[in-house]
Amino acid sequence: MENKRHMGLRTLNRVSNTAIYVLLIIISIVWLIPFIFIVLQSFRVESTYQVGYVIPHQWGWDNYIKLWNSDFKRWYLNTFIIALAAAVFVTVIQLCMSYTLSRFRFKLRGPLMRFMLILGMFPGMLTMIILYRVLSDLGLTQANAVPGLILVSVASSGMGYYVSKGFFDTIPKSLDEAARVDGATRAQVLYKIILPLSKPIVIYTILTAFMGPWGDYVFARYVAMGTSAGYNVAVGMYSWLTNDQIARMYTTFCAGGVIVAVPVTILFLCLQKYYVEGVTGGAVKG
Amino acid sequence: MKKFLALVMALAMVLSLGVFANADSELAGEYDVTVWAPEAATELTEQQIADFNASNEFGITINATVEPVSEADAASNMDTDVSAGADLFFFAQDQLSRMIKDGAVTQLGQGAAAFVEANNNAAGLAAAKSGDGYFAYPLTADNGYFMYYDKSVVPEEDIDSLEAIIADCEAAGKNFSYELENAWYNAGFFFGTGCHNDWTSESDGSFTLSDDFNSDNGLIAAKGIYKLVSTDIYVNSSNADFASGSAVVVTGTWNYATIKEQLGDNFGVADLPSFEVDGESYHIGSYSGCKLLGVKPQEDAVKGAALNQLAQYLANKDCQLARFNEFGWGPSNNEALEDPAVQADPTLSALNEQGAFAVPQPNIPGNWWDIAKVITTDVKASDGSDAALQAALQKYEDSMAAADGVTLVK
Amino acid sequence: MKQYSDLEYLRLSKGQKFTYKLTSLLAAIPRGIGRFFANIGKGIKNGVVGLGSELKDIGATFAHGDWKTKTSYLVMGFGNLARGQILRGLLFLLFEVVFIVYMIFGGAHWMSMLPSLGKVGPTSEYNAVLDTYTTVYNDNSFKILLYGVLTIFFIIAFIYTWRVNVKQNKIMEQILKSGKKLKADKDDLRSMVDENFHATLLALPMTGILVFTVLPIVFMILVAFTNYDGSHNGYSNNLFTWVGLTNFNTMLSWTGGTGGGQSYSATFGEILAWTLIWAFLATFTNYFLGMGVAMMINKKGIRLKKVWRTILVMTIAIPQFISLLYVSKMFARNGLINLSLMDLGWIKQPLPFWEDATWARVTVVLINIWIGIPHLMLITTGILMNIPADLYESARIDGANAWQQYRKITLPYMLFITGPYLLTSFTGNMNNFNVIYLLTGGAPTNPAASGAAGSVGYTDLLITWLFKITTGADSQYYLASVVGIMVFVVVAFISLVVYNVLPSIKNEEDYQ
Repeated sequence: MENKRHMGLRTLNRVSNTAIYVLLIIISIVWLIPFIFIVLQSFRVESTYQVGYVIPHQWGWDNYIKLWNSDFKRWYLNTFIIALAAAVFVTVIQLCMSYTLSRFRFKLRGPLMRFMLILGMFPGMLTMIILYRVLSDLGLTQANAVPGLILVSVASSGMGYYVSKGFFDTIPKSLDEAARVDGATRAQVLYKIILPLSKPIVIYTILTAFMGPWGDYVFARYVAMGTSAGYNVAVGMYSWLTNDQIARMYTTFCAGGVIVAVPVTILFLCLQKYYVEGVTGGAVKG
Repeated sequence: MKKFLALVMALAMVLSLGVFANADSELAGEYDVTVWAPEAATELTEQQIADFNASNEFGITINATVEPVSEADAASNMDTDVSAGADLFFFAQDQLSRMIKDGAVTQLGQGAAAFVEANNNAAGLAAAKSGDGYFAYPLTADNGYFMYYDKSVVPEEDIDSLEAIIADCEAAGKNFSYELENAWYNAGFFFGTGCHNDWTSESDGSFTLSDDFNSDNGLIAAKGIYKLVSTDIYVNSSNADFASGSAVVVTGTWNYATIKEQLGDNFGVADLPSFEVDGESYHIGSYSGCKLLGVKPQEDAVKGAALNQLAQYLANKDCQLARFNEFGWGPSNNEALEDPAVQADPTLSALNEQGAFAVPQPNIPGNWWDIAKVITTDVKASDGSDAALQAALQKYEDSMAAADGVTLVK
Repeated sequence: MKQYSDLEYLRLSKGQKFTYKLTSLLAAIPRGIGRFFANIGKGIKNGVVGLGSELKDIGATFAHGDWKTKTSYLVMGFGNLARGQILRGLLFLLFEVVFIVYMIFGGAHWMSMLPSLGKVGPTSEYNAVLDTYTTVYNDNSFKILLYGVLTIFFIIAFIYTWRVNVKQNKIMEQILKSGKKLKADKDDLRSMVDENFHATLLALPMTGILVFTVLPIVFMILVAFTNYDGSHNGYSNNLFTWVGLTNFNTMLSWTGGTGGGQSYSATFGEILAWTLIWAFLATFTNYFLGMGVAMMINKKGIRLKKVWRTILVMTIAIPQFISLLYVSKMFARNGLINLSLMDLGWIKQPLPFWEDATWARVTVVLINIWIGIPHLMLITTGILMNIPADLYESARIDGANAWQQYRKITLPYMLFITGPYLLTSFTGNMNNFNVIYLLTGGAPTNPAASGAAGSVGYTDLLITWLFKITTGADSQYYLASVVGIMVFVVVAFISLVVYNVLPSIKNEEDYQ
């Protein structure tokens, strides 16, 4: 009797596992299809516009060569510089902010956090025109868009402290206190005790800061204001999908998409472990 | 007294001539200039500016930076910030009112206006004019649309009838691409039934519209639109869709090369067809439009004058022909239009045939496009009854009567 | 409404508790508003009293102070310098010099222009000699408003610093009188990395936020009281100026409006409704499906866990403008999906993914699931693994099946932990610009709502509507500002309600 029930459970388990495998395979296909299609179309030679089939009739590197001969190199370099600078500075700023708000209890802490919560409720869309003017007065638009975009993405990044604060909150406070008793200054506590424990959240912050600029379109377009030298990849490639260019540049867009996505994806997959730890450690606290 | 006046006049003329001659040499010098040209034309424009530097009689040297900015984007960039905009820019004529409103184009002086008036066809002149003045130099007069079709689906004897074309497409399971949810395209049906839509622009940037879309003729046009949009083969698009299921596409010269490649031997091009309502046949009309070259207002009069010289050069016959040869852009310059190669071009001749039914696109404010395109949306959503179609037109008229900066007269 | 005592409250079922909390919160709103105004009154009273005592203190410090203190009233930091606190003294002095120089070379000018926002617009004249028109740009309303606001910020900062400077002199005198020693520069520096370390760490981030977030938001709010738009851009065509509450009247009145005959408030209401529906669907579909996928991958006996996870996570890494634009083209009427389905003979007519309002709305929600599941999968994976295993063990012994375990253990645990995340994700989805803009751009057009204020579509969220208002032929920034303020009000209201109704949010110390 007992044995039979056990058997039943096991078959049930096997059935449900098979169902899960089937589901997971379907999900994987759905999730990967667009990317596989983009890759396939980037190798299509016979036509440069949208067609009703996926597998190229004629394979080749034409679209990549076309990419190399366009301004794409410049846009890619711009985006890479912005992403790198953002990764460094945004990380420093966000960690300062979140560490302070997680660890210190000072008079203005509560009001400050409430104030930033309220600020975050205003739609940022509207402030773009103002930020554009400020940058333009500083001479950081058009050909100088790269430092301008770095400045803006770094300057307001303190607002995004939630995730890393959540992470710091999970590190026991008793560690700090023990070190303080031993005579360490608060700065020393940060460098010697907290930072070594915070590898996941540091890498998480670097990674998200690095990936952000690759997709920045609306504001980057404002700042570049029709100067190709100041475009990032999103602004540049978006212009290929306008009505007068899409027929000539559609497959080149796909090739550009591959070139943009591959390094970011590889980096992401390599650091995935830390990203997951950072997200789960921090995001749940919101 | 009269003699004295004549003397003064003569003296003034001599003086002014002298001054003008003097002015020419005053223009000598180097100028840093930014130019926005569509991506395809950047290299040619750089070349043409170099030619201008070498050949102009004023001693002007232009150090130009040519940026690829499409004609469609020029206005939205100017909306953001005129001070950072290019000194010289290509733009589509429907943006002229926006450019004037933004303060992004300068009015042409008398000499430049005379140059434009003397050299361009009617469509070009209508496009560049606002109120009494000219605000830009016409570069092309090919910004109109006509019909490309797949000869293997639509036989040549059917191309004059909208109903026959729809039947052919349905039979073959192919689509009909016509961007009717865009006022630039749907207005053609109204022009085809004899409706008018006349704009007068005032110098303060406001407009007066005289319009009879909401009329018996307008109802016929709406019925024509309904014939296409109520079918399952209608696609709201003006892209080169032949590779993705369409057998007919209404679009312009800019898609010629792609469509030619897509269709190969089945390539067909014609003017727009006619549609039939109550036994009467109406040829679908269209807009004919232009691409323009604008000059940004300058604080320095000398630089302004030099820029106008450059703009006149870029808008002249030779530069227009060079653009025709490289990209097939149809010229607006009268002499260039006489050129045998231009006359032999298949798309330009289709455009030319359609020209008999085309209305030169005047200077139209932005909100009209937003309001008029909704006619198609409403017609599509209706049941096609006279009352429903008339209601869509009534709504259009009410909206225009309420629109900012527009005075509607019946 | 009925008030429950604590004991009665505890006896209520979950649903009743929730309703009770919600209704009591809603009932509290009028009282809250009343209290808000009462507080304002109290605040003003306190402010006046406080100001009086501050002024009294400033006067007293001056009267009783020595010459070093008195000089500090004019030359900031003089007291510190004279008493050996060189570092503090120099900083005070430097700030004063910078302030005075700024006011002379611009600040005063901007302030004086602020009430009018400029008098002379650009002028154009014909130069007969060169046969050309020239334009002279004069005042610039935009700059006047921007730098005017900046100057006010600066003046407030200066007054505050000056007050600190005076107070420090008073304190220094007291310390010296009592025979103690003043802090040396060395101590000041040390405190920056120790007891005042938080100030050091926050200085840079907060400056950035002040200039690049607070200043623009203040500016944006002020724009709602001007007529700043495409034909009054303040620089190259017409200047703009203050118009008071006109824009709020336009927006809130039920007549007149968007050219299409529909009033702005009706249009706003329609878009708001869809924005809320969207935010709700986007948040919860992602939440539950993401959790489901995470549970499938984490289930005992499922192999290749890492592979499944990696496949999903890849979509996070690829920039949205590539994936979303591509997917948007795939679903187009003549896109890959329709063409393939027709080739297979499954459908005769293309499916109107982007042309029909309902289809488009469902499609954006579905594609958003595609975007969102990987994120949720990651987040929930970590939490699921943290649920104590013995909870499940004892449940199994009690004979609970999988569904009951999920209902009684997993879900409550998840909801408790992720409550705050759900709230931020809801408000985040309300402002999810990218997905809508890149997928549909708001299409299909909503004919009833379209007109002068940009063309409104059925999938437009408030945030994409805002964007449409500020771009395009008739960019009406003033209207966008009003809408922006209203979006703020809506988001703030929702957050307030959720904060008060959901358990577990406020006690952040619980986690440490």
